[in-house]
Amino acid sequence: MNVRARNESAWLLPNDGTRTNHRLRRDMRQFADSDEIDLVIVGCGAGGSVMLQRLARAGWRVAALDAGPFWDPDTDWVSDEAGSHHLYWTDPRVIAGSDPVPMGSNNSGRGVGGSMVHYAGYTPRFHPSDFATNTVDGVGADWPLSYPELRPYYEQIEQELPVAGERWPWGDPHGYPYRPHPVGGNGEVFLRGAGKLGITAKVGPVAIVNGRFGNRPHCIYRGFCLQGCKVNAKASPLITHVPDALAHGAEVRPDAMVTQIAVDSRTGRALGVHYVTGGRERFQRARMVAVAGYSIETPRLLLNSASSRFPEGLCNDFDQVGRYLMVQGAPQTAGRFDAEVRMYKAPPPEVSTEAFYETDAAKDYKRGFSIQTVSPLPITWAEHVAAQGHWGPALREYMSDYVHWSCLGGLCEFLPRPENRVTLAGEKDSYGLPVARFSYSQCDNDRALARAAQSVMEGILHAAGADEVITIQRYAHLVGGARMAEDEQHGVVDRYGRSFAVPNLYITDGSVLPTQGSANPALTIMAVAARTAHHLAAGLS
Amino acid sequence: MSGGGRGWDGRFPGFDVLDQAPHWDRVTADVVLARTDTPTAVKFFTEPEEACARALLNLLTGQDGHDGELAVPVLEMVDSRLAAGETDGWRYDDMPEDGQAWRNTLVLLDADARQLSGTAFADAPPADQARLVQAVQDLASGNWHGLPAAHVWSLWTRYACTAFYAHPFAWAEIGFPGPAYPRGYKNTGVGKLEPFEVGDAHPSEDPVREGA
Repeated sequence: MNVRARNESAWLLPNDGTRTNHRLRRDMRQFADSDEIDLVIVGCGAGGSVMLQRLARAGWRVAALDAGPFWDPDTDWVSDEAGSHHLYWTDPRVIAGSDPVPMGSNNSGRGVGGSMVHYAGYTPRFHPSDFATNTVDGVGADWPLSYPELRPYYEQIEQELPVAGERWPWGDPHGYPYRPHPVGGNGEVFLRGAGKLGITAKVGPVAIVNGRFGNRPHCIYRGFCLQGCKVNAKASPLITHVPDALAHGAEVRPDAMVTQIAVDSRTGRALGVHYVTGGRERFQRARMVAVAGYSIETPRLLLNSASSRFPEGLCNDFDQVGRYLMVQGAPQTAGRFDAEVRMYKAPPPEVSTEAFYETDAAKDYKRGFSIQTVSPLPITWAEHVAAQGHWGPALREYMSDYVHWSCLGGLCEFLPRPENRVTLAGEKDSYGLPVARFSYSQCDNDRALARAAQSVMEGILHAAGADEVITIQRYAHLVGGARMAEDEQHGVVDRYGRSFAVPNLYITDGSVLPTQGSANPALTIMAVAARTAHHLAAGLS
Repeated sequence: MSGGGRGWDGRFPGFDVLDQAPHWDRVTADVVLARTDTPTAVKFFTEPEEACARALLNLLTGQDGHDGELAVPVLEMVDSRLAAGETDGWRYDDMPEDGQAWRNTLVLLDADARQLSGTAFADAPPADQARLVQAVQDLASGNWHGLPAAHVWSLWTRYACTAFYAHPFAWAEIGFPGPAYPRGYKNTGVGKLEPFEVGDAHPSEDPVREGA
């Protein structure tokens, strides 16, 4: 079936140079709190939006509540780093552990579209090996589903975003619906250095239109992908799934912070969600609840939904909620060239290699890493330079050299560990709810991977002609925290995202992933949600 | 440090980011140009805190008073963020929330200055100021008056760099043209310039290589 026949979002956007279909939003269906709708979704990002669109198409009465705004790229977003602060989830959170993970701009979105509003745009698939790392490599966990079960959903979502890139030789080899983009200076450097070392590197895969797609125009190579795409060229659910959902009778309720999931203590079934909007507490009834608040807010909401039946938090009978939260180690290595690279020109996501993705028996660590172009803008670049210890005149001097630098990022498969988890802090937010406390510590395998990725990046940049390389240790992405498993003693949800504890409660975001691979997670989060939605829609009909 | 021989001066002759402002989209232009207006009055910091924070932030961003009208109002930019509660969305569990952490660390810095120089930090000789700040950085994973020094350093430099490199004056000295919507870029690739970009006048003079 062609894409438009199953998801018309790109054709529902305006084609007059503006970016938002205001009429579609004005005419949006609005359910009453007292309506027992078929499904209420908490969070309208990668997972929530796919659920919303799929089930609206299946005829379900469905609404997605999001704590943040219903963005209009024309008026809400700017072509500027500091001015994009409002795109991030910046409510208070406490970070702890031996290797604490900063939140906010790096990994936490806010508003309709979620973190995909400010993700770079890389959309690689996971490899088949990611689904059985415990069996194959003796580390991590096995998924209760296999790669072939997810493949059809990967293919669907790649067409709907749509993804541009070269034919992909790694994992399950596959092609992409759109040709690769031309590369800018940073991509050129990566390809040159990798070529000299005999490392295969490919252009893509990015969810950025190359050509027109419906009424979405071609990318203008502006470089501000991480600040929200004002062009509508980079995919986010705001433009890839929400318009079609609205056209099929779904409701998106922005600025609605869900504070608690209500469960009937007698039947053990979810009844709906408590939420706050416009300063008022309200309650939306629903036949089914899907939580898609991502790896920090989803566990936090479950823990904040404790009741007499679930004194330690909803779905937490076996102390699994919030555990196995993962971040990828993301060392960022830059190289200096006499020629001007001007890495800010062109999208940051350009070129990747997955040649180091799987376990290499010759190495003293398990699993692996990928390497991608990253191209930080000045504020993020200043963080990289300041991490070398420079401040004052030295910082200014180093920064003045910005146009000469090329920058690569590693994504290392840090392992899932039970002690890396979300719990509730003593501190409360503006809604009076305990905030999340995220404790994170690395293991030896993690540190070995970060060192290996840094060394490969240094090699590539030197081979391309860099005379100096500098590295900052960072993290990227979040997944896990309410993982899927074979049984309730090892996870929170089953292979379809249904919670073991509450039969009409689903989790449909990145928190269900048992491992993370070395791939950016957005595509996989959407594919897993599409699979859950397909399962639910088929069950109802 | 004297005004003439700074390594970042004159690398992009004649390049002024603001020349392109008429080509920016209206919403972005409003946000960016507001940063070049006269700074608003300080709201978050008390007077003694303000003096200390101003000296610290100018020191961290290499603003030594020689920039004249091209000075970036880092103090006011940080103050307005803190007044609005615009944090990065997290804090270390061994630090207070950002606003309180700023207040506490400024008091501590003043105390250090009184011990070393007999004055508040803002009134200490520049060499003493630099020594006091360097001492905090040098503690690395150690402890500074009961706070983890690395987390204090992270707080100070994060706010300082985010403010300074948000400013068009700072972009001009690094050759970055700023906002790029709706025009985008047409000449991407190593060594390629747009008509409005200015090439580095001293491309092989890697300031770091010289300094190494």
